Amino acid sequence: MISRRLATQAIILLILCLALAIVIFPYLWTLLASFKTEAALNRPLDWNFTPTLANWQAMLHSEIPRQVLNSIIVGAVTVLLSLLLGAPAAYSFSRFRTGGDGARFAVLLAQMLPPAALIVPLFLLMYTLRLLDTLWAVVASHLTFILPLVTWFLIGFFDDVPPELEEQAMVDGCTQWQAFYRVVLPTIRPGLGAAALFGFVLSWNDLFYALLLTGKHSRTLPVGIAGYWTFRGIEMGQMSAAIILAIGPVIIASFFVQRYLVRGLGGGAVKG
Amino acid sequence: MHPLLHLKYRLLAPLVLVLGAVIGYPLAFSLWVSLHNYTLTAIGQAKLVGAANYLGLLANPSYWRAIGNTVTFVLVAVGLELILGFGLALLLHHRATPLRHLFRSLLLTPMFITPIAVGLMFRFLLNSQLGIIPQALKALGIHVDWFGSRLALFSLALIDVWQWTPFMLLLLLAGLEALPTEPFEAARVDGASGWNMVRYVTLPLMRPVILAAVVIRMLDAFKVYEYVYAITRGGPGESTETIQYHIYRVGFLYFRMGEAAAMAYTLIIVVLILVIILFYVLRRSAT
Repeated sequence: MISRRLATQAIILLILCLALAIVIFPYLWTLLASFKTEAALNRPLDWNFTPTLANWQAMLHSEIPRQVLNSIIVGAVTVLLSLLLGAPAAYSFSRFRTGGDGARFAVLLAQMLPPAALIVPLFLLMYTLRLLDTLWAVVASHLTFILPLVTWFLIGFFDDVPPELEEQAMVDGCTQWQAFYRVVLPTIRPGLGAAALFGFVLSWNDLFYALLLTGKHSRTLPVGIAGYWTFRGIEMGQMSAAIILAIGPVIIASFFVQRYLVRGLGGGAVKG
Repeated sequence: MHPLLHLKYRLLAPLVLVLGAVIGYPLAFSLWVSLHNYTLTAIGQAKLVGAANYLGLLANPSYWRAIGNTVTFVLVAVGLELILGFGLALLLHHRATPLRHLFRSLLLTPMFITPIAVGLMFRFLLNSQLGIIPQALKALGIHVDWFGSRLALFSLALIDVWQWTPFMLLLLLAGLEALPTEPFEAARVDGASGWNMVRYVTLPLMRPVILAAVVIRMLDAFKVYEYVYAITRGGPGESTETIQYHIYRVGFLYFRMGEAAAMAYTLIIVVLILVIILFYVLRRSAT
C-alpha cells in the first residue's frame, strides 16, 4: 500500500518535472544564447564556449534602453489613467448596479475586442491628429483594452466589500464620495495593486498597436525586439539579451499577481 | 438635484467619455470605412460602395484561407491546452503532491511574457540551422522541418500551447479548489476512486469553469498575430496566414482599408457571439 502511494507520488513528480523543464528550457536557452559569440551560436550542440558580455554591451548601447523607457512611460500612464477612470466607474457598477447587466456585458466585450477591429480607425485618427509616432498614440490604443480590463477587475473586488462598511462611515458623517475614497478604496488595495500590475504587464507586452502606431522616435520594447530578426539579418545574441530584459522582470512580477488574478478575471460577472 | 447628477453617473462619466473616444468612435468610423472604397493612398477620394467590401469577401479565397487557418489554429491549440491544463491542474490539486506551490508559480510564468519574445525564442529553438531542437533530433536521425508548409501552422499552435496552457491551468486549478467537498466524500463512500471519480464527479462539477476557460482562450487565440509576425509572416504560401495577420496585411501593407475594416467587422461578430456565451456561463456559475 505504502509503496504504491510512493510510486504514484514519484510518477506525479516526474510529470511535473517534465512540464517544468519544458517551461524553463526556452528561458535558460535564451539566457545562455545572450552570452554566446556569433560563432558559438552557430554550433548549438557544442557546450564548450567562452561566455562573452559583448551582446549585453551592444544591446545596452543600442536603441533598446530608450525603448524600455518608452514602454515604462506608456505602461505607467496607461495604468494610472485606467485606475483614475476605472475605479470610480467600477464602484458605481458594483454598488449602484448602474446600467445593470448590459453595462457589465459592455465592459467585458470591450476588453475582448480584437485589435484588428480598432487599428484602422485608430491609425487614421492619430494620423489626422498628427499623433502618429508619439507615445500618446500608443497610450490611447492601450487604453482600449487595459481600461475595460482594470474596470472589470475592480468590479469584482468592489463586489466583495460589504455595504455595511460604507454605511457605517456615512453614519459617522462621511458623504458617499468620502466613504468611497477613504473607506472602500483602501480596503481593496490588493485588488488595485493586482489590476495595476497586470495592466502594466499587458501594456509592456503589446506588439500589434505599438508596431503600427510608432515610428523611429517612439518605438516600445516589443517593437525593438521584433526588429532584431528581419529579412536583412539576425543579431541573435543581442536579441536574446533584449528578450531576457523584456521577460525577466515580468516573470518576477507574475509571482505577486498570480494569486489575485482569478478573482480579477472573474470580475463583474461572478456575483450576480 | 437632477437625477443624471446622481453620484453613480458622475463616477461613471469619465470612463464613458474616454471609452467613447478610444472605442466607440473608432468602431463607428470603422463601420463607415467598411462601407467605402477607402485606400490609404487616396483618402480624399473615398467612394460609398455599400456592402461591396463585405460581398467581396465571400468570393475572396485569401480571406477564407485565413479564416480556415485561424479556426484550425484555435481548435488545435485550445484543445491541447484544455487536455494538458486539466491534467496538470488535477496533479497540482492533489494534496500529497510535493512542492505544489513552487511548481504552480513556475508553470504559470509563460502566460505573462510578451508573445513576440515567445515567438522569437521558438523561432530560434526550432530553426533548422541554429536551433537546438532540430539539431538534437538530427543527431538522433530524425528530420523535422518545423516551419515548412506542412507543419508550420501546427508548430505555431504548439507555441500557443506552450504559452497559454498555464492560463488554462490557472483557471481550472482555481475551479478545482472552489469545488464543494461533499460530492467527493459521498462518492468515496460509494467506492468510487481514481479515474471514475474524475469522470463522474469532478468533470460534471467543473463544466462551467471548463466552458468559461475554453471560451476565454478561444477569444484570445482568434487574435493570434505575434507568432505569425515573428516567425512565418503568413508563409510558406498562405499556410499560416491568420485572420488578424491578414487584416494587418491588407490594411497596412496593401493600404486597402475599406476591405480590412469589413474583415474586422466579420471578426467582431464572432467575438460578440463568444462573449455572449462567456457572459452567460459566468453568470450561471455565479448563482
